[in-house]
Amino acid sequence: MSAGQRKINKWILHAILVLLAIVTLVPYVWLIIASLKGQDDFFSAIFLPPGDGAFGIGWDKLSLDNYRALFDLGFEVNLINSVFYSATTALFATLICAATGFVLAKHQFRGRNLITLVVLGALIVPPTLLLAPGYELLYDLNLLDTSWGLLLPLIAPAFGVFLFRQAVIQSVPDELLEAARIDGCSEWSVFFIVVLPLVRPMIGAFMLITFLGMWNNFISPQIVLQTADKQPLSVAIAQLRGVYKTDYGLLTAATVVSVLPVAALFLFLQKQFISGLTSGAVKG
Amino acid sequence: MSTGGVDSRRVVFSWVMLAPFLVLFLVFVVYPLIQSAFLAANQTFGPGTRTFVGTKNFELLISDPVFWKAIRNTFIYALGSLFVQLPIAFLLALALNSPKLRGRGIYRLIFFSPQLMGLVFVSILGALAFEKRAGLINQALDAAGINDLLVWVTGNDAWLEPDWLQQHVMATLILISLWLYVGFNMIYFLAALQSVDKSLLEAAEIDGAGPWGKLRHVIFPSVKPVATFVILLSMIGSLQLFELPYILLESSGGPDNKGLTIVMYLYQNGFDLGDLGFASAIGWVLALILIGLALVQVKLTRAQEVNA
Amino acid sequence: MHRITNTILALRGLSSGVWVIATLFVISLILVLVRQPEQEGDLQFWVFSPEHAEMYAPLIEEHDASHGVKLDMTVMSIAAIQSRMMSGFFGGLPTADLIEVEKAVAPQAFMGPVDAIGFHDLTDLLLEEGLLTQLNEPSLSPWSVDGRVFGLPHDVHPVMLAYRADITEAAGIDLTLAETWEEYFRMLRPLMEDKDNDARPDHTPLSFWYTNQDLIETLMLQGDGQLFTPSGQPVIANERNAFLLATIVSWCVGPDRVAIDINEWSASGHQEKVDGLAIGYIAPDWMCSIWKMHVPGLEGKLKLMPLPAFEPGGRRTSVRGGTMLGIPKTTQQFDRAWDYAKLLYTSPEVARQLYREVDIISPVRSLWDDPVYNEPDPYFMNQRKGRMYIELAPEIPLRPSSPYNKQAAIDVRDAALNLAEYANRNSVYNAEDLIPEAIRLLDRVQARVEQRMSRNAFAAEDLAAGDGEAQ
Repeated sequence: MSAGQRKINKWILHAILVLLAIVTLVPYVWLIIASLKGQDDFFSAIFLPPGDGAFGIGWDKLSLDNYRALFDLGFEVNLINSVFYSATTALFATLICAATGFVLAKHQFRGRNLITLVVLGALIVPPTLLLAPGYELLYDLNLLDTSWGLLLPLIAPAFGVFLFRQAVIQSVPDELLEAARIDGCSEWSVFFIVVLPLVRPMIGAFMLITFLGMWNNFISPQIVLQTADKQPLSVAIAQLRGVYKTDYGLLTAATVVSVLPVAALFLFLQKQFISGLTSGAVKG
Repeated sequence: MSTGGVDSRRVVFSWVMLAPFLVLFLVFVVYPLIQSAFLAANQTFGPGTRTFVGTKNFELLISDPVFWKAIRNTFIYALGSLFVQLPIAFLLALALNSPKLRGRGIYRLIFFSPQLMGLVFVSILGALAFEKRAGLINQALDAAGINDLLVWVTGNDAWLEPDWLQQHVMATLILISLWLYVGFNMIYFLAALQSVDKSLLEAAEIDGAGPWGKLRHVIFPSVKPVATFVILLSMIGSLQLFELPYILLESSGGPDNKGLTIVMYLYQNGFDLGDLGFASAIGWVLALILIGLALVQVKLTRAQEVNA
Repeated sequence: MHRITNTILALRGLSSGVWVIATLFVISLILVLVRQPEQEGDLQFWVFSPEHAEMYAPLIEEHDASHGVKLDMTVMSIAAIQSRMMSGFFGGLPTADLIEVEKAVAPQAFMGPVDAIGFHDLTDLLLEEGLLTQLNEPSLSPWSVDGRVFGLPHDVHPVMLAYRADITEAAGIDLTLAETWEEYFRMLRPLMEDKDNDARPDHTPLSFWYTNQDLIETLMLQGDGQLFTPSGQPVIANERNAFLLATIVSWCVGPDRVAIDINEWSASGHQEKVDGLAIGYIAPDWMCSIWKMHVPGLEGKLKLMPLPAFEPGGRRTSVRGGTMLGIPKTTQQFDRAWDYAKLLYTSPEVARQLYREVDIISPVRSLWDDPVYNEPDPYFMNQRKGRMYIELAPEIPLRPSSPYNKQAAIDVRDAALNLAEYANRNSVYNAEDLIPEAIRLLDRVQARVEQRMSRNAFAAEDLAAGDGEAQ
């Protein structure tokens, strides 16, 4: 292949990639602009409304009114709820799964193999199978429409136990544990001071994945929570779509508010996040 | 060997560490799982009441054309992800794999970014973008002249203003999921490509292998394990599709149930109509399908390993 | 002490993401904990329409003050009311003392036997207080089961045809002369030319499509189509229904189609209304206020007229949508709730406001003489539209309260869709030729609805209390 041809190929590749990147990015741009437009201008142009400002665009028609209206409706309550549910799930799920994963990987006791087997078996149970009986259970326990009812079933995922068990097996040598014990460490210190730091990457990745998963979870809160001021963003936003009318400005503004904070956070932390995503596949 | 005292203390510790998980797991996974088997033989009117109906739920399920439609739609979507989404993701990963490519970090970030948007939010965006005539998609197609081309090719003037959300629901869903998941799967393939042994590639090059030869004899075999994993993951996810059509079609199955999926069908029966028993029966059918798929996958992988 | 420093040292290595999430947890936990639970009133009231809520607020305040009670009004989406109402009735979760329910949702509560319905039976009370005879009779039908009334009707929602009078009058067409749909479409034929060469007619006579379930139902009701008998038996596969279905689907198919699908709710659809893509729109009274709010550009361009009939002398109106006010049986304070219900649904002030603010006419007949209904409406070229709607009110068709009606209506919409696909596939565009296929499709709907009904083990055995309950 000649150098010239190689150069042409490179340009073609870039052209395709840039095109795809634009296709990927256009919806964001559209979303943000739409959230700044008033109801009347919504469809006067796909993107910026025409007018007599610079570049023939009606800059004065853009405003934060939709955002103001959104928070007048009390949307911040749902925002706080989303943060609370996601952070709580992420923290407790990580702690519980790390503890369980460690014990299943490194401790000898009767019943260990049985528990491990059951946990691995639970991985193939689709969560949708548990929706109906889970709902009935929450009803029996009087936990419907409570934060407990939403969170308790979600903070002990078998998948997490599996991940942490793998991580501990891979990155915590037995000798190190024995050495720590001989140094006089209690089992608690062994877990917190020796084990947790060694599975650091998994902790970061799993927490972020769980946080994002809960942030975007729709079906659980939709089923469990009924009161508006308990609902997270995902449910609240779906209810903004009225049956007889839809306020597009409000809806797009709500989408921006729901997506932007997490997106920013995760772009900032993308390395930890992505390495976590792929660790299960590539190493396993 | 340690003394008995230390040993029993360690066993106590083990169980204390296990307790939170075990309690929650038994209460919120094992117990409902057992209950779902009983529920599937009952009809309920909300969680308070049960009436035993035996195998009637399953009989009704099999005789309900709407259920078969849901199965069909769900599989169309799953196969769409398999044969459209994953190849594109793989090609993108190939393109971004070269370390010499400038800006690959940024490309990767951009393609991955839709994954950060939850399905609910993507669905809201999709509902607006795929509106007939005025939506972003149709305006773009119109401007690019693709609509006219489609009319000319199909001879059907309905393509002048395609009604995505009414007529081509599954296509719409696949298109949206393309935007959402291609970057996500690309990340897996990229990780796999980066673990391809460089010396093997060089050896192939010395042997005179072209790009296609390298792809076939070096890259494919080493990406295979990850590919199998991604395929399984994507199938399992696709078969449980819910939020996207649920929001897009305003909590219905769409006209003529063109966008009804298995989980939507489950949700409608269980939570709109209050029949948790019937919903459990649907849940079991779905579970069996998924477990069957996973087993096939394991078998295939084993067979390959034996052959290799 | 040593152990704590060790732990801190070990944790220091954790990634920044962990710290961000931990911080978010602490902050949000504090915010959730300090959130003051709102002072609960004596009674709870759920509404789905912010406009209604705004109207009710001052009246409730006044009533609260003079009676020393406090009623909390909460606005929620229809979906939220549905799920909360049903989990209340199903699962015994607390519901409100008063619930305003939309027609698509209310009948779900009628699924079980009559005495298991979650709402109070208001029939005797309405009779006692002389209210029953004052209410527009057809308006009670969606809320009645076996002759018992379970909710106060909020509205009548008669339907007229709103048309672009500016366009038709400029073309010298007097649409008010059109008595039947056929005449209506024939008179508008000249406006369908494609003068701007965009491969579609400049103006299509009617905004309607075979995918619009609400409009299909509205039109079928107009033509005396019937899905259920008053006692709730499905009678979907009948010739009248087939005729109506074939007729309205024929409007949407073929090269000479006279209907266009303009989105009723989206901004894009509103723009297309302004652009005049369609001339006529099927308009219940409440639609007027939606247009005033979202399509101000049509002010002074629309006029209303009774719907063209399917046959000469046929019904010139229909009904679409509806809301009731129900009092769940779980309320501890029925009398107080009933007082509020009467205040909000039968007082002349509310009726007047209801018309002024959202163009809805009251179902209370004694209020129909109110001069407010005679006011000319500038949006509709100064027509006295209130009076026009009231004149049609007694003629609106009866509607079933069957809990299966919603699903049946969806199935009929699907049948319409299948019929349209059949028409397009076989190039059969004539209503009469579509009837056999329509009958076949409606047969299927009938079978499906019957199957669904036979599945309801509860209605069948009257809940066989205790017996059937496994737990």
